[in-house]
Amino acid sequence: MKTVKKPETFDAIIIGSGMTGGWAAKELTEKSLKVLVLEAGRPIEPDQDYVEHVPITEMKFRGMGNRRETLKDQPIQRTCYACDEWASKFFVNDTENPYTTDPGKPFAWIRGRQVGGKSILWARQSYRWSDLDFEANARDGLGVDWPIRYADIEPWYNYVEDFAGITGQAEGLSQLPDSHFLPPMEMNCAEIAVKEAMAKQYGRDRVMTIGRSAVLTQTHNGRAACHYCGPCHRGCITRSYFSSVNATLPAAEKTGRMTLRPFSVVHSLIFDPQTRRVSGVRVIDGQTRKALEFQGRIIFVCASALESTRILLNSATPEFSSGLANSSGELGKNLMDHIMGGGADGIIPGFLDRVQFGNRPNGIYVPRFRNVSSKEKNFLRGYAYQGAAERDGWERGIHETGFGASFKSSLRKPGPWKMTFHGFGECLPNPANFVEIDKERVDAWGVPVLKIHCEWRDNEKALLHDMMIQAAEMLAAAGAVEIEPYAPYNPPGLTIHEMGTARMGADPKKSVLNAHNQAHDVKNLFLPDGACMASSSCVNPSLTYMALTARACDFAVSQMKKGEL
Amino acid sequence: MKRREALRLMGAVSVFSVLSSDLFAATLRAQLAENKAGVLRTLSPAQNDIVVAMSDVMIPATDTPGAKAAKVNEFIDLILTEWTTDEERKVFLEGLAEADRRANALFGHGFAAAVANEQAVIVQAFDEELAAQRNEKLPEQVRPWERTLVLPFFAQMRRLTLVGYYTSSIGQEQELKVEIIPGALHGCVPAKSEVNQ
Repeated sequence: MKTVKKPETFDAIIIGSGMTGGWAAKELTEKSLKVLVLEAGRPIEPDQDYVEHVPITEMKFRGMGNRRETLKDQPIQRTCYACDEWASKFFVNDTENPYTTDPGKPFAWIRGRQVGGKSILWARQSYRWSDLDFEANARDGLGVDWPIRYADIEPWYNYVEDFAGITGQAEGLSQLPDSHFLPPMEMNCAEIAVKEAMAKQYGRDRVMTIGRSAVLTQTHNGRAACHYCGPCHRGCITRSYFSSVNATLPAAEKTGRMTLRPFSVVHSLIFDPQTRRVSGVRVIDGQTRKALEFQGRIIFVCASALESTRILLNSATPEFSSGLANSSGELGKNLMDHIMGGGADGIIPGFLDRVQFGNRPNGIYVPRFRNVSSKEKNFLRGYAYQGAAERDGWERGIHETGFGASFKSSLRKPGPWKMTFHGFGECLPNPANFVEIDKERVDAWGVPVLKIHCEWRDNEKALLHDMMIQAAEMLAAAGAVEIEPYAPYNPPGLTIHEMGTARMGADPKKSVLNAHNQAHDVKNLFLPDGACMASSSCVNPSLTYMALTARACDFAVSQMKKGEL
Repeated sequence: MKRREALRLMGAVSVFSVLSSDLFAATLRAQLAENKAGVLRTLSPAQNDIVVAMSDVMIPATDTPGAKAAKVNEFIDLILTEWTTDEERKVFLEGLAEADRRANALFGHGFAAAVANEQAVIVQAFDEELAAQRNEKLPEQVRPWERTLVLPFFAQMRRLTLVGYYTSSIGQEQELKVEIIPGALHGCVPAKSEVNQ
């Protein structure tokens, strides 16, 4: 071993403090491990950094954003709906954090580098996978079979939901198992009408339910119920939505066994060929640019799907010349995201004397109905819809004609009820969608960057088209007028459900991680975040990452106790 | 009591129904202080007079104050100075000159000097022309707020007047009576409901 000056050794090092890093910190510290959490970005002080109640009147550009600055420093991040004038500070600087893509094949890599990571700005939608998802690769002969089934993860869904708090309505659907729910949020007038019309038309084949969201509808584990201000992605001073800053990191902090080190940009992992274990982490201090090393018995890489894979790719050794723990050659391959945005909107007549009170941080959900009991000719797998009914505000006046006193008076009242469905479709695993290290470029800290090769393929495009057609059909069934169908192009990445590139699998020759998110090749190395995914389902993935992380932590500690690690 | 301290206490006992708007009196003012009120950086005094007059024709004072009182002109000056592209600014300022030309041709004096009925005639014409040429084919990957500023003068004027007015204190508090913390959710209640429990 090289001599490192008085290295402090931790039981576990966790790289990343977001959705999965926060869970790993909570679980491992509560199981008595001494834990170091390395976060690339800055610390977050909720009292100063959360801005959800700052009124639009106080924003310099009144919600239009600092266009010139974001065009210069955040040309990619600004394409995300949540990167608004309030919350753009929770997104990375694209100049400091470059990556490359193939010409004409954009990938919108949306990133948050701060304590809490993207868990601060996520959309909080929380859905369980089912065996329809876990068996999908085996059924279609694509990718590798998942090494786990619903029964393996179900207790861990229960476990993380009971801590995080998920609001929703039980529906008893096989393709979308119910969570342990807090009381559901209410649908509004037009949504209730659409739900009833759909029940008449489709029975239990297409069910519209209220969104399942990691937002508290009642006091839960010491956190307050939601106060319905609306823009959760700007923070939440009452900690009413789940994020690592709001929930898991405070729990880890309470144990007294967590050291959280912000401004710690991980360069690579240190592999010891004698023990065939990772012994530590090479870090660039984000402020001083000094190179540091930290030692740990086990390492959890929770840096987000692509950052975690990037760290392994940058940790190549003579033995693992194409990336650490990559004897399978699968590291970097099968990048996925959900194809998003096909759908329709339409006006639901009536209810003009009624309104929704409160800004509901949640919408409605139509669980997958394609290839559930039927078999489609044109595509594999399926999609689900999110959506909502809303009455337009004053903004509609921008696109109308008219002016003067009567125009002003008309904009004071809300517009008609407009119902929207937009789909999220499953992306197939495809080895031609992959990432590698771009040897020509480094980021602001000298760390080699990713080159991302990714594009939507025929199956995803077919899903996008069907989302549009079926949404319009559902609106027509609900009696909507002025129906507008659409199937816009959104680049992969923009859905921010990027996953895969270090897949789980039973066979070490065909996968990077085993059934417990443990690297086949390096026993004390765990990747529980989105990198591990062998397929993508069509549901929002964070709840599954949380459950996999808690499960992996339980496994790792039990292995340590047995002397295996 | 500071807003956040108050909210934390409220959050701890979960009694949001008693929150009052007074709690928000102490919000950040730093950004406004940055731009001294009334100091224009792009609009000339003559151009500013046109913007003031035209925005007030579009959103006049009624039972609530209008665009002039909400200082929509200062917002537009900020946007022209720190936000628009050079091309957009050129199109906008040319539009103001066109408004003056039309007022002179029709009424023999500039737009700002015209009486309200005369100004309305010109705004009406701009509005009809915009409706005719409106092209909703928008560039991809540009956020909705920014899309139409590549469009003609009156599309810019319309958007900036509405944003400037409805996001001002007058627009938010007096005209729209926006509640930042409703404190509860009710899916389907009568309009003007006082329900807040």
